[in-house]
Amino acid sequence: MHFAEVEEVKRAQGDFALNIDVRPNRAGDCFSHLGIVREIAAILKLKTELPFTEAKVKKRTESSSPAKDFIQVEVKDKNACPRYSARVVNFIKVGPSPKWLRDRLSVCGLRPINNIVDIANYVMLETGQPLHAFDGEKMKGGKIIVRYAKYREKIVTLDEQRFDLDSDILVIADAEKPVAIAGIKGGKLPEIDKKTKTVIIESANFNSQIIRQGSKKLNLKTDASLRFEHGIDPNLTEPALDRAASLIQKVAGGKIARGLVDIYPKKVFPKIIRLNLDYVESLLGIKIPEKEIRDILESLDFKIKNRVPPQRDEGEEEAEVLFAHKKSKILDVGVPTRRLDVSLPEDLIEEVGRIYGYDKIEAVFPTSSLVPSKRNLDVFWKDVAKDILKEAGFTEVYNYSFFGEREAKSFGYKEGELIEVNNPLSQEQKNLRTSLIPNLLKNVEKNFKRTKEISIFELGKIFKNQKTEGEKNMLSGVLLGDMFFRAKGVIDSLLNKLGISDVWYDEYKPTPEDSKLSIWHPQKCAEIKTDGKEIGFLGEVSPRIINNFDIQGKVVLFDIDFEKLSELASEEHEYRPISRFPSAVRDIAVLVPRFIKVEEVLNKIYDSGGDLIRDVDLFDIYEGEELPQGKKNLAFHIIFQSKTGTLSSEEIDGIQNKIIKILELMPEWQVRK
Amino acid sequence: MVKINLKTLKIRAQKEIEKTGTPEGLNEVFNKYLGTGKGELTLVLRSLGKLSKAEKVKIGREANDLKKILRIQFDQKEKSLKEKLHKEVEEREWIDVSAPGKKPLFGHLHPLTITERKVEEIFQGMGFSVIEGPEMESEWYNFDALNIPKDHPARDQWDTFYLRNGLLLRTHTSPNQVRYMEKNQPPLRIIVPGTCYRHEATDASHESQLFQIEGLMVDKKISAANFKATVGEFFRRFFGKDVSFRLRPDFFPFTEPSFDISISCVVCGGKGCSACKETGWMEVAGAGMVHPNVFKNSGLNPKDWQGWAFGFGLERLTMLKYKIDDIRLFRSGDLRFLQQF
Repeated sequence: MHFAEVEEVKRAQGDFALNIDVRPNRAGDCFSHLGIVREIAAILKLKTELPFTEAKVKKRTESSSPAKDFIQVEVKDKNACPRYSARVVNFIKVGPSPKWLRDRLSVCGLRPINNIVDIANYVMLETGQPLHAFDGEKMKGGKIIVRYAKYREKIVTLDEQRFDLDSDILVIADAEKPVAIAGIKGGKLPEIDKKTKTVIIESANFNSQIIRQGSKKLNLKTDASLRFEHGIDPNLTEPALDRAASLIQKVAGGKIARGLVDIYPKKVFPKIIRLNLDYVESLLGIKIPEKEIRDILESLDFKIKNRVPPQRDEGEEEAEVLFAHKKSKILDVGVPTRRLDVSLPEDLIEEVGRIYGYDKIEAVFPTSSLVPSKRNLDVFWKDVAKDILKEAGFTEVYNYSFFGEREAKSFGYKEGELIEVNNPLSQEQKNLRTSLIPNLLKNVEKNFKRTKEISIFELGKIFKNQKTEGEKNMLSGVLLGDMFFRAKGVIDSLLNKLGISDVWYDEYKPTPEDSKLSIWHPQKCAEIKTDGKEIGFLGEVSPRIINNFDIQGKVVLFDIDFEKLSELASEEHEYRPISRFPSAVRDIAVLVPRFIKVEEVLNKIYDSGGDLIRDVDLFDIYEGEELPQGKKNLAFHIIFQSKTGTLSSEEIDGIQNKIIKILELMPEWQVRK
Repeated sequence: MVKINLKTLKIRAQKEIEKTGTPEGLNEVFNKYLGTGKGELTLVLRSLGKLSKAEKVKIGREANDLKKILRIQFDQKEKSLKEKLHKEVEEREWIDVSAPGKKPLFGHLHPLTITERKVEEIFQGMGFSVIEGPEMESEWYNFDALNIPKDHPARDQWDTFYLRNGLLLRTHTSPNQVRYMEKNQPPLRIIVPGTCYRHEATDASHESQLFQIEGLMVDKKISAANFKATVGEFFRRFFGKDVSFRLRPDFFPFTEPSFDISISCVVCGGKGCSACKETGWMEVAGAGMVHPNVFKNSGLNPKDWQGWAFGFGLERLTMLKYKIDDIRLFRSGDLRFLQQF
């Protein structure tokens, strides 16, 4: 509730292991038992006594020979390695670790190796500072050089992996060769073995970005690289080193050489953050007493000073700010250098808030000016369109935004048309979809075994490899079966309800460049047009495409540019008065050549009937054996109605006869009486 | 001149009415006695003129009374015959009401659409506008502007799909905090629904494609306490009952302080069950107070503004609401799943 989540508690070898999910901002100080102990102490308001206070460590005995005599350290790039500390322990006895040490390491998931390596690992777990132990006698020239590797320089690591290095990878080298990949993994050459007498313990601080890049490049993640890439306090090298040296002396005997080898050109000092207590209250929304704020910060090792009243020479701007807050209390807070995550007042407020407890903050509704929410028309029309299709019996699907190779190939997409994913999870996700259709057909395929009643739609983004309009919303749907006219009826109703009028359907004329259009059956596809613009397509899927899927039968699709649709949509709708005068219905049947479009006939009827025709309904299209070859029969209801009076049957007959006459003027058209 | 015995006529007529079993038969009887042309009683009434004055009055009254009585009886008989007929028809037309009904062909909205609308409706009711943003996003908006620098381990929290065109698939809807604040001066209240992508293997509880809803509220003095009130109101309205929730510290580079939000388990009510891993709580969202660097990167002075932001996974909310146990169902296209909503 105050720090991090304990994900798991398990019994292990007579001990308890807690698996704690430390968030990355706290890796610097809390990827260690010590860090967790400090947190627990602050939360429970306890005092901690750490196992390696300076006093305890100082009890170790140092020999008279200085460490400098055994090793010389040279750091080539101070930015890549802000601090390099080392100690030397002589006359040690390498052997297996005592049981307590082996047990503790294995509970934490580390494999015990020998007492020296185990202590290095143990202190890393304890403090968060990765350590490395070299056999002092194997270091050529008695030198440690921190430098970048040379191009194709080679190293074999402790676990016998070979790496070809590069000039952006930091290494620890002796006078001749790299002996470790800095901050990531030790090398085989100066390995600690049974005969090792002199150990050099490295406790260094490396640039987090350089370690992260190196670890990524070599694809090598270790306990050390994990800690370094999150950043570690450079002031931690020394206490960790002292702790390790005294443990080695205790466990493996030997003499600690005098002094610390330490390259630390730019010492890091605690930051001071100015914390305005009014801001604490304002951001958390609760007044926490000053005493409590101080106690919380101090329990986390922050050092608090009252702010000294401002001097005149601090600059007018600052004086003004202070004047504005003249009643507010300001604290100057010193941040322990290990708290790399704290650099702003907001960071301190989080510290106060979490230890105080977010559960203690009472909910308070914001007082804000009464600005009504803005209506988002895109969202509005999406909702309307989805509702209409739902009412028409369609089921909405959500598909993945990707295409596999199979789809790209079977739909004839050319290279360069699709946006490729650099790091796809699978072959199915190699490209971003440029159409909703392939995945909709896969939906049909998937459900086909269980049902033949499939009408589904999706409203979603497609992606094109172009500068503008790279992504846009499409509205596409699929119907299973010989459903062209049902689909057309649905589109008609959809457009009508969206307030889009003057819709017409043009025969689709494929252009050779347009590869995506090979989706359509060339004889059964229409362009949906309104206002002279094409807004989408409607048609049967080409058998060539269907053959790539496990679907039998016909599939009808619509594919509409939703951006255009929502631009054209309008809520304006006008009521058409219901005529007070009765209407009359007459039927007419026309025999026409097969290729004549219904629309042509309809237009002729409307043209010749004039204002008195309210509506014409096609109720039957028939092509059959009884009819002459190449002809079809179209049957219409014509509804006559006048706005100004009741039509007499003579008047109606008159118009009807006129219509017949005009229809029969067309060659090969014949009105059936 | 017909010698008439009105008494026997009455008895005969009543008997015949009684005997009749069909409306047609009754019609015949009616015509026989009261018919306009040759009805026996009609003829009697018509022949009255030939009688003496005294007889006319006497017989006339009797005949008229009889006519009234018979009419009433005809009417009653007719009613009862009709009733009988209706009853017979009704009995013949029995249906089995236990047989299944014929369902109309309804369509179905996707459960995520249903949840999205519900969330939008609640927040719109609290004055939030709905904003949308691109799914292909630049590294700047998705990461840098949100205080997630390049080569920083914090980026590892978001496994990312990178595209050949130099863009990436947004890993969250948070880029729209910056996109919106660049163009709109606070005070502001927005939610941003949309699809996000995570480069991770899928299983019953992980998806590579997710629907997220971002929330952002910025004004002069917006606090964590305000966030608790707003999000609490949302949960109450969304789950339709008093759901308790809690904030715990978390880390997101673009908020400081940061919280994770858990609600009391909607399955067990907080007692602990397998759905909440015996904790009584379910994590549903991340949130926090907008980081000063995010204000800076949006062209606002962090000294002037305070605000909070949150991000909900819509799948998670939907799964809780409908007790769905596998996140992959949402994008499965399986009609057996979709047609349940």
